[in-house]
Amino acid sequence: MAVPVSQMYTVTKYVLTQKLRGVKRYPLVLMLEPLFRCNLACAGCGKIQYPDHVLDKRLTPEQCWAAADECGAPIISIPGGEPLIHPEMPEIVRGLVARQKYVYLCTNAILLERKLDEYQASKFLTFSVHMDGLKDEHDLAVCRDGVYDVAVKAIKAALKRGHRVTTNTTLFDDANPERVRKFFDEMMALGVEGMMISPGYSYQKAPDQQHFLKRSRTTELFSKILSNRKRGWQFNQSPLFLEFLMGRREYQCTPWGNPTYNVFGWQRPCYLLQEGYASSFRELMEKTAWDSYGTGRNEKCADCMVHCGYEASAVEDTFGSLSGFAKTVKITLLPNAR
Amino acid sequence: MTDAKYHAPEQGSLAGRVFRPASLDELREAIELAFDYRGDVTVELKSGGQVTGYLFNRTATGEQPTIELFPATGSGTMTIPFSEVAAIAFTGEDTATGKSWEAWVAKKDSERQREVDRVEAEAKARGHL
Ligand code: SF4
Ligand code: SF4
Repeated sequence: MAVPVSQMYTVTKYVLTQKLRGVKRYPLVLMLEPLFRCNLACAGCGKIQYPDHVLDKRLTPEQCWAAADECGAPIISIPGGEPLIHPEMPEIVRGLVARQKYVYLCTNAILLERKLDEYQASKFLTFSVHMDGLKDEHDLAVCRDGVYDVAVKAIKAALKRGHRVTTNTTLFDDANPERVRKFFDEMMALGVEGMMISPGYSYQKAPDQQHFLKRSRTTELFSKILSNRKRGWQFNQSPLFLEFLMGRREYQCTPWGNPTYNVFGWQRPCYLLQEGYASSFRELMEKTAWDSYGTGRNEKCADCMVHCGYEASAVEDTFGSLSGFAKTVKITLLPNAR
Repeated sequence: MTDAKYHAPEQGSLAGRVFRPASLDELREAIELAFDYRGDVTVELKSGGQVTGYLFNRTATGEQPTIELFPATGSGTMTIPFSEVAAIAFTGEDTATGKSWEAWVAKKDSERQREVDRVEAEAKARGHL
């Protein structure tokens, strides 16, 4: 099992409670971005493209805790920038863990081994290490040689100290399915708890025909990677989301499932698109034109199949219909079943 | 880490342009451009002053539409009503231009290596490596 039972129980209870209360839109994962500064400069990274004085801004621990309280999501993912650069990150994590939030601290792992002493192993804390493939692919993706080896060493060190560790992989349509499968083998052999995968986001103003091709190329790629899955592979995400990536299920985006809070405020509508910011979570939920986003609704969303928009849709499907629930159980037990 | 890799083709940057809108529609348009711009802008105020900073938000609806900036110097944010904006100049470096994945791949190996070394040295100087 890729996720501890206590975490599954918490999430299930949370989703069912929202449903019983008749809440139509509820957050599942808070994307908390405490800074945009990074120690890498991956080509095309949209998160680090700001003037220095903006990159130097950081959320305080109090702001992070207030966002978590206001939002109420049971899971908090902390991307960035590189969160381990933030001098108060251990304090931020301690406060979130004290609130019994399941924290996924996303890192490129360059600083991880050096910082491990500052974090206490807990079922509530997972280091989510960004790995974009085997050594060649990863070092190319992050535009620096040697980062893959550093990350592997850090993963081993974190596991040795009893930390939960997952990997987090973004694939673009030029990925080689065989190499990706080999990469999964390597990550599982390291002993990580599970892997997270998502197609990358590449918004480009293009005619609809191209969008369609892009989406079908994505499903083709993920079908090649995920068909005939090896028994040992564990994915730390909804089984139905993987089905969606393979083109076996259709979902509409539910961007409110993964709200983003950063130094600018609450980002509308999602982690990827910046259409403006709300000053409170309530304002975000109440005053965002949610129906304007998602496939077929917005040109900017046409190609998107990213986890922050569609994973929550898959979770909603699991708990929203008997067929979705039955399918989830079936795929959990038999990953290659159709 | 992020999933948002910028793959769009390179387009001409607005760096250096100045917009002096003659109507509310033109002002709205200039503000949208400034909102999408990944560098500082300088807002010239009708009162005579000017503010340089990163324009991170705008509220175009309601009785008094506003823009919000992180001033380049000092802390905190600054809110300016649309009605006070006389001109917007794209004065800061466009931090997105030339940074797409395609642009990176198209560079010569030596250029790429120089860039990697520069980024590494900067991160080291800040104590981030
Ligand atoms: S489809 Fe959803 S997640 Fe993707 S860009 Fe649009 S709103 Fe964001
Ligand atoms: S490590 Fe992540 S945040 Fe840092 S530059 Fe690369 S993609 Fe951007």
